[in-house]
Amino acid sequence: MRPKQGHLSHNTTAGKKAAPETQLIARAQQGDEEAFAALHEAHKRRVYSLCLRMTGDTAEAEDLSQEAFLQLFRKISTFRGESAFTTWLHRLVVNVVLMHLRKKGLQKISLDEVDTSQEEPVKRDYGEDDRRLIGSIDRIILGRAIAALPPGYRAVFVLHDVEGFEHNEIAQIMDCSIGNSKSQLHKARMKLREHLRRDQRNPRREASHSSGSEDER
Amino acid sequence: MSDQGHERLDDARAACRQFDLDLPAYLEGEDRPAVPAHARECVYCAVLLADLEQATFASHHLPIEEPPARVWANIRARLASEGVIREQVSGWRRWLQHQILQPASAPAGALACLTILSIFLLGPGDSGLKRASGWLSPGAAPAIATASVLGMDKDLLQTLRQMEESYQALEATLDPDLKAAYRQSLGTLDDCIRECLTHCQRQPTDALAHEYLLNAYRSKAQVLASALQFDRR
Repeated sequence: MRPKQGHLSHNTTAGKKAAPETQLIARAQQGDEEAFAALHEAHKRRVYSLCLRMTGDTAEAEDLSQEAFLQLFRKISTFRGESAFTTWLHRLVVNVVLMHLRKKGLQKISLDEVDTSQEEPVKRDYGEDDRRLIGSIDRIILGRAIAALPPGYRAVFVLHDVEGFEHNEIAQIMDCSIGNSKSQLHKARMKLREHLRRDQRNPRREASHSSGSEDER
Repeated sequence: MSDQGHERLDDARAACRQFDLDLPAYLEGEDRPAVPAHARECVYCAVLLADLEQATFASHHLPIEEPPARVWANIRARLASEGVIREQVSGWRRWLQHQILQPASAPAGALACLTILSIFLLGPGDSGLKRASGWLSPGAAPAIATASVLGMDKDLLQTLRQMEESYQALEATLDPDLKAAYRQSLGTLDDCIRECLTHCQRQPTDALAHEYLLNAYRSKAQVLASALQFDRR
């Protein structure tokens, strides 16, 4: 995983963090409240941010990060350390979010159920438009465009381009192949670009489209 | 358009399609020199590449969001109600556990209990009950002060004081029979403590009297702990 600014990345602090986190997990497995609190403190921002990017809604992100941590702490006695704790945690978070989105009646989310034709290039009308996205991308517009992505695309996009996970980690988290993760990411990026360009052409229409319609999900 | 013109357009579109095929790998950091080379020649593909790089950069620099404090409060409450979190041991319970786990305290505790039992059984008539009614009388504080002067463990005395306050707060809520039983036990122990204190003041070098005193305090702490634990159940 690439280090992300402001994140408590296990790459940037690997040496210092590995041992204490192992100890914290061991203590949490004994039901130590301080260990639970410390693990929550260490991971809460990443978990909440992931939930927020995946849902685009602060209330849902709160509920989901709460649910994810509850599941984590209930299951922590089963963690044996075969995989990285962060990967384990994020797999759990992504599952919680995807389950939630399924319950909301949105389209099927499994990566394998989204278009998996990896050889076919993303459809593009050549010579259609030579205008670039202007200036820096506003974070609100970007957040809205991410939220408008189909959930399967969105999960891979958020994990890779926002959270900085590598494809092998995403494949583990999403239970899919590395090639599938790469393919979905590229399609997600192309789709995101469409949203951003549409937003730039007509901000009001895109805003109402993103918040009011679920037809793309 | 002439045949040559159509041919050039077809070639250009073929190059764009190849660009599209190579683009994902290029964006993943793989070596695809044809991608930037084509982007230099084709304005549409150059725009696509620039847009994707810009969006990826912006996405990677989205800020980390801080969840509200209530998220942890809710998680903690749920874990506590489900029994996932082990009960935190408060100061006096931790102290008591430490005392109980000390191997040396076991025979001494037994000795103290025997002493207390003998005082209670051999005492005149219902004196135990009478004494019990005043177990937390104003005399208790000076007794603790005296014990402190005698060099008794300050942590022990402080813990006892806190436990007595906690017990006083909950005593009214106890079942009358249970309350009477605890009062009786505590009264007997207080009498024992007072006698030991008097003896220790008269003969400060009497090690056995000091030991009896210490064990009487420990026994009292155990009785109070039992009462406070009963309330929690």
